[in-house]
Amino acid sequence: MTIFRVMHAEMLKLKRTLAFRMVFVAPVLVVTLIFFILYEKKEFKPDFDLWDSVLKIALNFWAVFMMPLLITLETALLSGLEHGEKQWKHILALPVTRKSVYLVKLLTVHILILISMTVLIVLAVLVGFLFMKIRPVLANAGMPPWGWIFKHASYVWLASWLIMAIHTWISVRWASFTVTLGAGIGGTFFALFAASAKFGKYYPWLLPVNVFSDQRLKMALLIGIIGGIVATVLGCWDFVRRDVA
Amino acid sequence: MQKIAIETCGLTRRFGAQLAVNEVNLAVPEASIYGFLGPNGAGKTTTIRMLLGLIRPNAGEVKLFGEPFAEKRLALLRRVGALVETPSLYSHLTGRENLEVTRRLIGAERKLIDRALDIVRLSADAHRRVREYSLGMRQRLSLALALLNNPDLLILDEPANGLDPAGIHEMRDLIRRLASEFGITIFLSSHLLSEVEQVANHIGIIHQGKLVFQGTLAELQAERHEHLTIGVTQPDQAATCLTAAGWSVKRLNDGLLGVAATTREAAVRINSLLVGQRLDVFHIALTQASLEDIFLNLTNNSAEREAA
Repeated sequence: MTIFRVMHAEMLKLKRTLAFRMVFVAPVLVVTLIFFILYEKKEFKPDFDLWDSVLKIALNFWAVFMMPLLITLETALLSGLEHGEKQWKHILALPVTRKSVYLVKLLTVHILILISMTVLIVLAVLVGFLFMKIRPVLANAGMPPWGWIFKHASYVWLASWLIMAIHTWISVRWASFTVTLGAGIGGTFFALFAASAKFGKYYPWLLPVNVFSDQRLKMALLIGIIGGIVATVLGCWDFVRRDVA
Repeated sequence: MQKIAIETCGLTRRFGAQLAVNEVNLAVPEASIYGFLGPNGAGKTTTIRMLLGLIRPNAGEVKLFGEPFAEKRLALLRRVGALVETPSLYSHLTGRENLEVTRRLIGAERKLIDRALDIVRLSADAHRRVREYSLGMRQRLSLALALLNNPDLLILDEPANGLDPAGIHEMRDLIRRLASEFGITIFLSSHLLSEVEQVANHIGIIHQGKLVFQGTLAELQAERHEHLTIGVTQPDQAATCLTAAGWSVKRLNDGLLGVAATTREAAVRINSLLVGQRLDVFHIALTQASLEDIFLNLTNNSAEREAA
């Protein structure tokens, strides 16, 4: 299968890249923030739920802000690898299908984001355990709610299919870093205003965080997954037909 | 009959209103070194991109090894190695890692990496990152990438671009060696005739999107018409006088005149004619047109036809 060969090649390209390092930097930033929020908190009420705080804040902050920006950055960096020295003309003159080249770019973003989310969850759980040790009040918090974590992390990932597909297409289509980053920062920033609006439940950059709202969960998954597939097919269709400069 | 490695039929490509490639019919024989010549912007790179399927023609067809490219793209690309314009390398990876990326993409055997490095003489520097490479080394590494699938046909777009004289010399040797040792058909483009005539045995000349010459190097050389170069202190009067006497006269550089004649007798007659008119002759010599002149002639003629 061509797609496995292309994927295998893509993995080697990631060596020594910022794209790969950011997969770890992004979750470390989020968890560090949570650590300091909890560390500064002097009093804990008796009904304070440690896991709820640590994990919900981590995943929420991740879904609304860090992940969309990370997706933007990763797609820009991954496509930047090929735009940099016009590698497209080399790769696409090789006996590989264009479709597989495009899909591998998208799949790589998925893989990097999934690794990044795993790192986020592991670090957040470690921070939780750390506070059970250093804050005696929290010693009885018990085990983290694994079921809840797995379910919601999956939702966040599924709801992000659409923005991953959109950003992959933008980054492949435009060589300019400014265009790619501008689209992502614009999309994420505008989400702050869209959040309270009615159309917020359809807004692509809000879908990942909408999964935490019972009223918006279904729509978020529906648009995220179906929109993601449609955007992938359209993006791929465009890439296969385009002239290679 | 000689087998044809690249054949195009009425290949045409427009960019907006501009015709970049205009009904080009290439015929590149197998096992030849084919020099594809033309000034910058003549349509060389556009043609090469169509040969590789990077862009689509508006009209016409490409056949490689007798098979239609549009239908058998992947199978045909397996037999082709290409270097299009500037090197396409990942500068954060080493030379060997760059080859490994392409090796994985095409599913070639691992041992071909060492062979390719050996051919371009980069084995000793393969562990270094490409960002430390000189332009010549980058160009050689790109050639190694093109050789990785053990191609029957190598398409090189301006392989000497940006190289210093030593690098150009090295590239030329490499191209000759690839053709003679491995029997690879080589199609290379350049805007410099002097560069191509040293390696190519077949030549195609493209100008403003049109193929204005195609044939062997010998056929191109046969176009080197000899003429008499005449130096006179009063070139205008001399030209009038010679034309009146029935000679075909052409203005050359530095106020010299070129007359379509090749014999000693003609030289003697022209000399007496001019001296008889009290014109001061300081130079008469039999000259052979350089290939560069032929090239300029062909491209100028096509420009004039275009203008007419």
